[in-house]
Amino acid sequence: MAANTTHADDTRDTTRRSTDGLWTRIRTNPQPALRWGVVAAVLVVLELGALTGGILTLVDALVMGVTGLIDVIVGLVSPALAGRVVDVQLALSTFIEGVRSTAQSLPTLLSRDVIPNQGYNDPSTVRSFLGLSYNAWTGPFLGLSPAAAWAIRMALTLAYSLFTFYWLYRGWLTFRTHYRRAGWTPRDDMVNRLRNHSWGKFGIVVLVLFLTMSLFGTTLAPSTVQQNITASYGNEVQYVSDDTGAVETIPVGEANFNSKSKGNPAQNVGVMTYDDYGRFHPFGTLPNGRDLFTYMMGGAETTLMVTGIAIGMAGFIAALLALVSSYYGGTVDLSVLTLADGIVSIPQLLLLIMVSVVFQDHWLKSVFNGGLLLALVFGLTTWPVLWRSLRGPALQVAEEEWVDAAKSFGQQPTVTMRKHMLPYVLGYLLIYASMTVGGIVIAMASLSFLGNGLGITPPTPAWGRAISQGQPYVSSASWHIALIPGLIIVVLVTGANALGDGIRDAIDPESEGGSEEEAAATGGGA
Amino acid sequence: MNRPLYIAKRLLLGVPVLLFGLTLTFLILYLGPIDPVLAILGKDATPTAARNLEISLGIRYPNGSLVPLWVQYKNFLVNMVTFDFGTSWAIARDQPVAAMIVGRLPATIWLGFWSVLVALFVGIPVGLYAGLNSNSWSDYAASFGGIVWRAMPNFWLAVMLSGLLTAGGVLDGYGDFLIKTDVVGTSNALQHLFSGIDPFAGVPVLEFFWIPVPNLGPMAEAFKWILPAALVLGSSSMGNEVRIGRTAVLESLRSEYVDTAKAKGVSPRRIIVKHIGRNAVIPLLPVIMGEFYLLIGGSVLVEKVFSINGIGNLFIRAAFNSDIPVMMSLVFIFILMQILFNLLQDVLYTYIDPRITLSDTTE
Repeated sequence: MAANTTHADDTRDTTRRSTDGLWTRIRTNPQPALRWGVVAAVLVVLELGALTGGILTLVDALVMGVTGLIDVIVGLVSPALAGRVVDVQLALSTFIEGVRSTAQSLPTLLSRDVIPNQGYNDPSTVRSFLGLSYNAWTGPFLGLSPAAAWAIRMALTLAYSLFTFYWLYRGWLTFRTHYRRAGWTPRDDMVNRLRNHSWGKFGIVVLVLFLTMSLFGTTLAPSTVQQNITASYGNEVQYVSDDTGAVETIPVGEANFNSKSKGNPAQNVGVMTYDDYGRFHPFGTLPNGRDLFTYMMGGAETTLMVTGIAIGMAGFIAALLALVSSYYGGTVDLSVLTLADGIVSIPQLLLLIMVSVVFQDHWLKSVFNGGLLLALVFGLTTWPVLWRSLRGPALQVAEEEWVDAAKSFGQQPTVTMRKHMLPYVLGYLLIYASMTVGGIVIAMASLSFLGNGLGITPPTPAWGRAISQGQPYVSSASWHIALIPGLIIVVLVTGANALGDGIRDAIDPESEGGSEEEAAATGGGA
Repeated sequence: MNRPLYIAKRLLLGVPVLLFGLTLTFLILYLGPIDPVLAILGKDATPTAARNLEISLGIRYPNGSLVPLWVQYKNFLVNMVTFDFGTSWAIARDQPVAAMIVGRLPATIWLGFWSVLVALFVGIPVGLYAGLNSNSWSDYAASFGGIVWRAMPNFWLAVMLSGLLTAGGVLDGYGDFLIKTDVVGTSNALQHLFSGIDPFAGVPVLEFFWIPVPNLGPMAEAFKWILPAALVLGSSSMGNEVRIGRTAVLESLRSEYVDTAKAKGVSPRRIIVKHIGRNAVIPLLPVIMGEFYLLIGGSVLVEKVFSINGIGNLFIRAAFNSDIPVMMSLVFIFILMQILFNLLQDVLYTYIDPRITLSDTTE
């Protein structure tokens, strides 16, 4: 450790003895913090609107998750009161939605307004650039073609988000080398091991890309979910008519109707092609003419919300019960075991189908387009799997001498669990949680695939529904409809598993893949 | 502890699990917002018809008062445990559920059987091969293939495969290859598997022992028919088997008994088969048995996509039509199978690896 902290050592030695806070330590040696902070500030300013929007989306999901849980608990006692809670929930959500639309008007460099990609190609419009004159599009960025404008915007957004993630990591590194009071913690070794684990890093990149897709999908896609899917008749596009040669206006819904992908080459808008209205479709269109790329971005947002709430809930319950059951042991342990076995004994997919069918006309189904119900069921059925995996490490740490010592001098059980057991269990929770995420994504997609009121309510995009729509066209000109959503799921699930592998090798380099967590990654056979 | 006692203890531990699973099912289906009368008779049922229906369903006594919930719960438990599954509400009105399940069971068992076997026959050799040639390109290809193969959603794989194998697909010739079969749909061959022409003709020894001999023609046809679906259903287990088989081989390769055998001059082939192979199978057992858990959930989707008339498909239809008796009975059967398979796994363990004791494996 001494080797890579040479120049910071003297400053740290002085601060380590003192009891000053972080702020004083930064003031003593401001340069590294300043260097990091300037770049971070530039990054924030560049994307102020989008970042606020992204954070608000997360807050929205959190509010939904928490109030949803309250809903369910209150609903057990009195359904009328639960309905009141839903009203509060919806009001809160509408409020956040309002703030979010105001946030969207904040200056943002990588936005649809700054780099637009929609427009029409009027042959008479000519622009010149560096002495070269070219036939320019009206609308898209610099008069480029919609495809090029879209590609520039998407590439910049992806680069931005990957760099921002890297910069956050750099921030932690700066803190660790220059400002942290402890010279070394065990967590440093874990991070260093993960840094050298290329398979794990692949997982991180995939997850960052997925987060970008779900939080900044509006910027990435050639169109927006609202414009292209949910309110397609309330929006219009301009195009140059083939018949008259003049610029005409048409509702998006009508344009979609004439851009269907139905399998035969005459009626198909494939991958990386334009439709008749000058709209570019990177992934082609769905059988109902909607843009598949936009649909996938919308689906990513839904997937993130449901998976996030579910895994958060399952992880919380599993960690809590693992601590309690291993600390007290005996009857507590046995009853949790029976409870977990009882839940697991019903195949998860069947339980999901059953609950979705039963709650089809229930108010819970209306919250969040059915996403909340899904998230709750996933959360309540996934924790036993996580708990089983955490139980071993938790039992191990409960037998350590320091836990015994803490008990013997009369420390509160909750304090012992939180301070002496939780940090150890938390690492394992990360491993198994990231391996379970894949299973939830797959199971969620399979419910939307089955349709008939299961899964996310249409027209809100859901990955599984795209596959179901593409099923008749697998071996036709419209092969893209079923293939691309499936590939995206495969990449995401592989990435989540890779991250789990990486974290496991970082935390516990001796271990080899077990079997229980492997099964968890497949979503109950979906 | 001796084996019968151990089995008895494990069975006893299964009772609360079964009870809990059944209670959860009861809570969801009976206390949930499904209205059975609405589900069966539709919106415009006359009050008398509704009343009569409620009486026949056991929700109301003939004298008009409602049956208390705990009585319903008790009746439900007794009915399930005595395998009295009642009659269907919606799919096939008044048909006994038990008959519906029994009629569809062979297709599902056939599918499950081959999905386990196909996964084993492909997954384990590939895994062992990758382990024996570790860090070569073929190892990387096999390991990476296993990881990606495992990450593929079953329903998507089924959609892609059925699309490729049917009209217009790249592998369209499959249906007519060797024997003519349907790729999507139900095969008649399965019914003729153990019936039709005298099954015992010409095999006196087997006839003597009363082992039913399947007819080879229908057998081949039924196998070819189920193969794509079995491949899909076994995909995730196949991936797991590759991965874990590889790790297990690497671990046994490092062990001392392999070094000893080498030093003694045992032939490499014998080392692989006797010393490495056998030990590598032990960690694979939970994967193979765990596959059962995936089979139930997976069969629902795979049977739906391939239009196989099995109990998974029955469950979907029951769910879409709110046919509670059918759903309930199927869930009960699945829970029961799950518990029995867990027990079977633990007992099998003791046979394969004598080092494992029978005492403390409550997990």
